[in-house]
Amino acid sequence: MANADPRARECNVASRGGEVPVVEVTRAYQFSAAHRLHNPRFSPAENARIYGRCNNPNGHGHSYRLEVTIRGPVSPDTGRVEDAQLLDALVRDRVIARVDRANLDDLIAPTDGPTSTTEVVAGLFWRLLDGALPAGRLHRLRLEETPNNFFEVERDGVGR
Amino acid sequence: MILLTKRVEFCAAHRYVNPRWTEEENQRVFGKCGNEHGHNYVLEVTIQGDPSPDTGMVMDLKDLKDLITEAVVDRFDHTHLNRDVPYFKEKVPTPENLAVVIWELLEPRLEHCTLHRVRLYEDGSFFVDYYGQRGSPG
Repeated sequence: MANADPRARECNVASRGGEVPVVEVTRAYQFSAAHRLHNPRFSPAENARIYGRCNNPNGHGHSYRLEVTIRGPVSPDTGRVEDAQLLDALVRDRVIARVDRANLDDLIAPTDGPTSTTEVVAGLFWRLLDGALPAGRLHRLRLEETPNNFFEVERDGVGR
Repeated sequence: MILLTKRVEFCAAHRYVNPRWTEEENQRVFGKCGNEHGHNYVLEVTIQGDPSPDTGMVMDLKDLKDLITEAVVDRFDHTHLNRDVPYFKEKVPTPENLAVVIWELLEPRLEHCTLHRVRLYEDGSFFVDYYGQRGSPG
């Protein structure tokens, strides 16, 4: 039986006198989108110099990967911080449905930033999700443009 | 101060069930996760400390691996979490609760360094981070 199994020894870990642990939960999503880095306030020569190949007039695209991190107490009833299915539905509705197989340049407003850099896109995603979640729940976004280039926005951190 | 991370893997079965709830409540809340299934868990253990002036190491990675293997992997690998781990007779074996248990198993065993973070991947698109009772840095 389980209790006789030596592997089970010492596993009756006390839950620290009833204190509810705070855990960060992260879900990852993917989407594919096109964009072009171009600031209309710059001259064509300046855009070409600053953005290089990313300024190609025909645009280019990426397979983006988005990590959404929620921080909160673990429910004593469910053992979970967040209902993953509800979070999935929210992220898909607020973000993925708008950007997957789309051109990011169509979504970026002047108030978001000068052009669709991944920094600017991550800031937009933060506002879309933070406004749809209970206050303080969203802890971090990590947006990977490629596996080698990624950008993070964190609550009380920089970049928002 | 240096952060050092060791990654290990273990495989286990589980199902989500709250014994205080009816079958209908469990089904409504947990859905398919209430069925028996399993995962290849990936565990990242991050410790923090200063490199020894003698060895240049915060902790010998072999010692850290042995410690994690003895405290965590040997205990959970190829088990059924609900049946084989007494803690999960009353708690739902979610990654959140598993990360907390792993922290409690590792933290008292570390000497000359501090446990910084337990990160547990259930699969490539879902993981949890636990920083102990002090919460996450920043």
